[in-house]
Amino acid sequence: MTAKCRYCREERDAIAACALDDFTLLYHRTSGQTHMVISPVPEILDALDEAVPRTAAQVHDRLADHYDLGDADSVIAVIDAHLAELTALGLARRL
Amino acid sequence: MRHQITLKIGPATFRIGSAWRDPIDRLASLYAAYPMLPGGIADFSVRLEPAGPLRQWLRPSIFITGDHGLAEAAPMSLRHGLLAAEMGMNLQMALGWRRHLLIHASSVEKDGRVLVMTGESGSGKSTLAAQLGERGWRLMGDEFALLDLATGQIFPFPRLVSLKNGAIDVLSAEVPPDRMGPLLANTAKGDIRHLVPRGGAIDRMEEGGQPALLLFPRFGHAADRRDVGQAEVFMRLTQASTNYVALGEAGFLALSRLVQRVPAHAIDFPSGDDAIAMIEALWEERA
Repeated sequence: MTAKCRYCREERDAIAACALDDFTLLYHRTSGQTHMVISPVPEILDALDEAVPRTAAQVHDRLADHYDLGDADSVIAVIDAHLAELTALGLARRL
Repeated sequence: MRHQITLKIGPATFRIGSAWRDPIDRLASLYAAYPMLPGGIADFSVRLEPAGPLRQWLRPSIFITGDHGLAEAAPMSLRHGLLAAEMGMNLQMALGWRRHLLIHASSVEKDGRVLVMTGESGSGKSTLAAQLGERGWRLMGDEFALLDLATGQIFPFPRLVSLKNGAIDVLSAEVPPDRMGPLLANTAKGDIRHLVPRGGAIDRMEEGGQPALLLFPRFGHAADRRDVGQAEVFMRLTQASTNYVALGEAGFLALSRLVQRVPAHAIDFPSGDDAIAMIEALWEERA
């Protein structure tokens, strides 16, 4: 549905990250909110660029260079859902 | 106000004013060993006011207010005036303190290292801290642990320990009567009696220490102990902090450093003696 949407991540300076066991804390300086996330959210965020917008399929391709992801269509749908959530949190922008 | 006293507890100074003499006299007696700063500059003011035009004299009823107030706070009987003053000071700290990350926790210190205990009301954290404070540890506080944003040290807030219900008899058995306040019966939280910390806790109330162990005690269960993961610790401590959101990134950095550096365990215990044995064993393991 939204797989054609393109996303950028928030500027790196806008987020402070801290790893706690398997979790990652993301402190969003703009909103003052702390988010607690687990894999694959930090990896998806890292696969986004601040300036160059990417689709879920492009994020998938970048992640596939490093991880064995399995069936592409279903993984792209999962990535797309996470991108929508990251956008709702203010950690990514939809363009 | 007509009657007032200015007290220093840890880093915070309170000016407590009252329409009645009695609560101020009781504070002066129980806080006699603490620095008094008549006319000094206070961080917070606490006011104990009549709850209505006639309530100074007729069934005297106290409304607690101050720099930071809760409009819907229920009035209290004058016979619980000491408790009202204590609640007023806690309220100012909880709502207004910004120099440290405030964690709703008790803390005690030994050899420069600090044990922090946090949990719900009734978890036993306050009673345990009071007991440890009588058994070779320095009591740093039973209500708030102050986490320094720059150094990561825990600083004391050694107000009077508020003993509730069963804890009153436990501590009365090992504390001299002159360090115990009057019994305040049938308050909203049950029976309450205040305990004056030992002299060392008051004399060293500006002295912090590095946190070495974090415990989540739970009274009334069979003895058990489990490690607590860092993410759960972080969640619990944000919930136990009254000013985490207000401090912004400074609070995030201080709290995440604390969670990364300090081991944490949950302990269940059926009695105070069981808990103290478990705590001493854990402390030895970490020594």
